[in-house]
Amino acid sequence: MTKTYPKASRPSLDNVSVSIEKGEFVFFIGPSGSGKSTIIKMLLHEVSPNKGRVVVNGKDVTTMRSWKRPHFRRSIGCVFQDFRLLPNRTAYENVAFALEVIGKTKAVARRVVPEVLELVGLGGKEHRYPHELSGGEQQRVAVARAFVNRPLILLADEPTGNLDPDTSIEIMRLLDRINRTGTTVVMVTHDSNIVNQMRRRVIEIESGRIVRDQARGVYG
Amino acid sequence: MRMKYVLSEVLVGLWRNVTMTIAMIITMAVSLFMLGGAGLLYQKVGDMKDLYYENVEVSIFLKTDATPQQRDDLDAKLKNDPLVKEVTYVNKDEAYKRFQEMYQDAPDLVNAVKADQLPESFRIKLVDPEQYKNIYDQYKGTEGIDEIVDQSRLLDKVFGVLTGIQTFALAIAVFMAAAALLLVANTIQVAAYSKRREVAVMKLVGASNWFIQAPFVLEAVVAGLIGSILALAFMAIGKSVASDGSLSALEGLITPISWSDIFLMFPIMAGVGALFSAITGWVTLRFYLRV
Repeated sequence: MTKTYPKASRPSLDNVSVSIEKGEFVFFIGPSGSGKSTIIKMLLHEVSPNKGRVVVNGKDVTTMRSWKRPHFRRSIGCVFQDFRLLPNRTAYENVAFALEVIGKTKAVARRVVPEVLELVGLGGKEHRYPHELSGGEQQRVAVARAFVNRPLILLADEPTGNLDPDTSIEIMRLLDRINRTGTTVVMVTHDSNIVNQMRRRVIEIESGRIVRDQARGVYG
Repeated sequence: MRMKYVLSEVLVGLWRNVTMTIAMIITMAVSLFMLGGAGLLYQKVGDMKDLYYENVEVSIFLKTDATPQQRDDLDAKLKNDPLVKEVTYVNKDEAYKRFQEMYQDAPDLVNAVKADQLPESFRIKLVDPEQYKNIYDQYKGTEGIDEIVDQSRLLDKVFGVLTGIQTFALAIAVFMAAAALLLVANTIQVAAYSKRREVAVMKLVGASNWFIQAPFVLEAVVAGLIGSILALAFMAIGKSVASDGSLSALEGLITPISWSDIFLMFPIMAGVGALFSAITGWVTLRFYLRV
């Protein structure tokens, strides 16, 4: 597919064609402005390609009406570099919020949220506020929030961008564990260290084109 | 639980920005009050037109030195006129009695006027009140006639004034409504901004659009409803002042406004207030939240 933003001189993504299987763990790497983040946005139905199609979970996102977007997003979890937690809510409340706003009851939240916080290694810190948690712990809350709804796909946009190397590795272990539950993980990153350690599929993008797609790749 | 969440968000939203909320409610109340007032006036003018035009008369006043001959001629002529439905002759004594009644509050004036200073007159009911002009043309040159007065022309003036007030009230209502709706738009933008993190997370995890928008739109609707209740209170105060206080003189002119008239205006005011707020809120969110 091709995506050209208005006012851009060249396409952000130029004739890119990628297929990611269910349960895969994929890195998108490349310099800033190469078009990696555009891929995430397309998978989220935030932007649409000018040409070509985006199919997620068997659904053609390109032709999806915007009113269907909310429901579609419930099958995708998202983690970002800046965590995007609500500062005035505890870890528990942050995760429960994501459930409650899509119509799950408080009873469901009480059952599921402690479980997922335990899974990400935050057992005992449920009632801390984000500012009382370290960066790595905050990102764990974000992962818990993304995963609590058991999405089919987890998108991670530079999830370790704000973390030190050791903490980054821990977060990667967590994503790896989530991947083993059958969740497809798509991660955009700059972090060569992590890519080299994980030895997963690496898709390298440069100036909107795929220059490499390697099954057990390194950062190059 | 979702309803509870939405409602508590509404209250928090209104309270977070309480000065703006108050400004919004007051402008909305004034606007709705003006709208309600104009509506009442419209109703009343309709009632009054029916009532007054039914009883409207043309009066022909004779000169004080008119001879009985002239009077009888005129009487005969009027009685045979096809335009005239009914003729009543008012002699000087009756005129004086009416005068005393009309000005009973001004005894000095009554004492100063003697019965024979008042003119005799004919009170005429027309088959069609609109035909006044014909009557006037026909009789204006007749000997002994001093003046021909058409009450409907007076009424037209009164109704002209009332319609003017009504238009004025509507104009104020429209301007205040514009101000109120801009305040609604602004309040919702502020609310959306202060909740931008929550909204971003909600969009991300796939909360439905109505669920994201409902607290904001309801905030505007609640403000609209409070505004209409306030407008109702203004009208109630207005009625008390008008019937008890300084405006009671108008009571004889305007058919009295009953409590039920006022309460019947409430659903209209509340409906308009809530609906316009909701639409404004929704449109604002379309632009501002892009949901």
